[in-house]
Amino acid sequence: MTYFMLLTVNGLVIGLIYALMAAGLTLVFSVLKVVNFGHGSFYMLGGYAAYYAIGLLGVPPLVGVFIAMVALFLFGVAIEWLVLQPMYTGKVERKDEYAIIVTFGLTILLTNLALVVFGPFSKSPPAFLQGTFIAGPLILPYDRLIAAAVAVVLLVALAWFLARTSLGQALDAVSQSRESAAVIGINPKRMYTVAFGLGSALAGGAGALIAPIFALSPNMGELPGVQAFIIIVLGGMGSVSGSIIGGILLGVVQGLGVGFLPDPNRALAYTQAFGALLLIFVLLVRPTGLFGRAHTRLE
Amino acid sequence: MRSSKWLRVSAVRVIALQRRGIGRFLMKPIAIAVMIAAATCLLTVNALAAEPIVLGWVGPLSPPGNFSGGQEMQWAVQLGVDEINKAGGLLGRPLKVVYEDTKGQPAEGSAAAVRLITRDKVAAIFGEFHSSVALAEADVAHKQGVPWVGTDVWADKLTALQYPEVFRLAPANSLVYVKVAAWMAEQGFKHVAIIAENTDFGQDGARVVSNILKEKHVDQKLVTIDLNQQDFTPALLRLMSEGAKPDIIQMVVAGQAQYQIVKQACQLGFAPNAKTKMLGSTGLLQKEVWEVDGDCAKHLLVVNIATPKSQWNNKAKAFAAAFQKKYNRAPTGVAMEAYDTLGVVAAAIRKAGSAERKDIIKGLSQISYVGVNGTYSFPATTDPAWAYHQFIDVPFHIIQYTASNQAPSDAPIVYPKKWATTDKLLPAN
Repeated sequence: MTYFMLLTVNGLVIGLIYALMAAGLTLVFSVLKVVNFGHGSFYMLGGYAAYYAIGLLGVPPLVGVFIAMVALFLFGVAIEWLVLQPMYTGKVERKDEYAIIVTFGLTILLTNLALVVFGPFSKSPPAFLQGTFIAGPLILPYDRLIAAAVAVVLLVALAWFLARTSLGQALDAVSQSRESAAVIGINPKRMYTVAFGLGSALAGGAGALIAPIFALSPNMGELPGVQAFIIIVLGGMGSVSGSIIGGILLGVVQGLGVGFLPDPNRALAYTQAFGALLLIFVLLVRPTGLFGRAHTRLE
Repeated sequence: MRSSKWLRVSAVRVIALQRRGIGRFLMKPIAIAVMIAAATCLLTVNALAAEPIVLGWVGPLSPPGNFSGGQEMQWAVQLGVDEINKAGGLLGRPLKVVYEDTKGQPAEGSAAAVRLITRDKVAAIFGEFHSSVALAEADVAHKQGVPWVGTDVWADKLTALQYPEVFRLAPANSLVYVKVAAWMAEQGFKHVAIIAENTDFGQDGARVVSNILKEKHVDQKLVTIDLNQQDFTPALLRLMSEGAKPDIIQMVVAGQAQYQIVKQACQLGFAPNAKTKMLGSTGLLQKEVWEVDGDCAKHLLVVNIATPKSQWNNKAKAFAAAFQKKYNRAPTGVAMEAYDTLGVVAAAIRKAGSAERKDIIKGLSQISYVGVNGTYSFPATTDPAWAYHQFIDVPFHIIQYTASNQAPSDAPIVYPKKWATTDKLLPAN
């Protein structure tokens, strides 16, 4: 039972970080109808932004996370303006293909730029709090505990923002119908920029939270990027709450899968396979994902 | 060009003097001096104008390969190239190395080898960090008859294929892990956990360790990891919870994935500590281990493929100083291997007196080259199969970090006995 609990708690913590990243990807997808293949690179940049903010400005690690989110919001806004806006100004004919190519290109560019700018050697910002939380059989490093708590706060804030603020409701309106939103006076292009900026900030926040737990390297966003895609399909394309549930579910299933697969030798190497199995199972039962909506194309 | 002009002018003056009938006793020495000067100048002009000898380097310089190890290797090689060219080149020709980033991917390695052979017409290929990639490159080199020399690739299979074109400076897994496993048994470890990456290097190394531990009746568990993985906690929790708790964790993992394993094991209170030691490989010799793992790296045991600092020859001292000066970091054993790989290929070219591929292969088979890490030769031994064209006397030792931010060269040596500076593992059980 203790072993089960340890695996579940660890899976929950990692799942919350996944959820934060996937929520950003979902937000971008639901509003812009663009799958951002560069999302993992924003996660990586968030980690480095926090690292340099802490190192150069001398701010505490949690402030570093906040600075990273602001920096990535601005970066996301700039990228959206430079790279994605041609899609909805009529300059691009094949919008879906364009979006795939530019966001893929972006991830290759950013990863290789990071290699040149930040160097090939691993970096790590200081811990949020040194030590490990021990309560009976429960063992959880403070870094993970704090990262999970901050992720919960950010996810709750995101849910509140989307449901309770006029800007959040405007984003939701655009996600449902660009034309209808325009009719009631919402500027869809502005919403695209806000959504892309927010999505980037969430990815950056996830990267900054994970940085002290793992380490920084130019390719650190590749695997979480893939996980985020599994999660948004799992949760239902375009559903922010679905991506949160999906992230947590994926983290827990992967943790338990590694812990209980009969072959302990191969269990860890099969981590991604557990996610894929979960996805197949959910899609068989609910083809639109856990909380999916039907409309998913750029209008 | 200026030398050629001076030469022509001098020759014309001599002929003019001859025509004017100036004393013969004066003419002869002048003519000889001019001829010597002409020959010297022509040689210099020819060397500068000569086609460079082109070699191909392969290794990971970007993800998903171990690009930090690849970067160190490339730096070391470039240092060697600059030194060789400063000293007049090879066979009077400048040396040029074309660098190919193989990204840790066998397909990239194979394509890089083809490019180097067909596009750059390289005389030989050398380098590489990942065994799986090296195997792909070696296949191409073998088919094309191009010499291929491996720097830090350990899978037994590479030399066990017994390709006449393939040579290896790095140890075969069987060369090092047999001794490491025997040492673990000798130290009295009863339960060993082997964490191995799912590559040719990792699985082959785990097999070697496992076989020896079986022979010595030591209990063992094997955990296979994917190098892209970041969270090892579930597997570590399983090792902590199922069956007998390991008293040592042996990582057969290249590069920086080990940092995560060490950090997560340490945060769980699992290892490295008095009850469970941790033994890793060369990636843990980079100074970044202290930045990522902090004090968790204290008491780590690390296999170092190099001679200890106390045994360095003058070449090793000069290389370490030059590397530190140029790149502002101490070279690890991998950098030393990379520097020596270039040295070995250059020595083979000198020995053969030719940069033809066949001649270089012959030269490699015959050389005895003193590098920073030892005296290299590549016997054609076929038993065991992996010993073919394998540098046998690979120097290696095991260190244990005992203080924060300790440099590997300052850490106590626990193995082998001839170099050991301590016989105690810390913290004591």
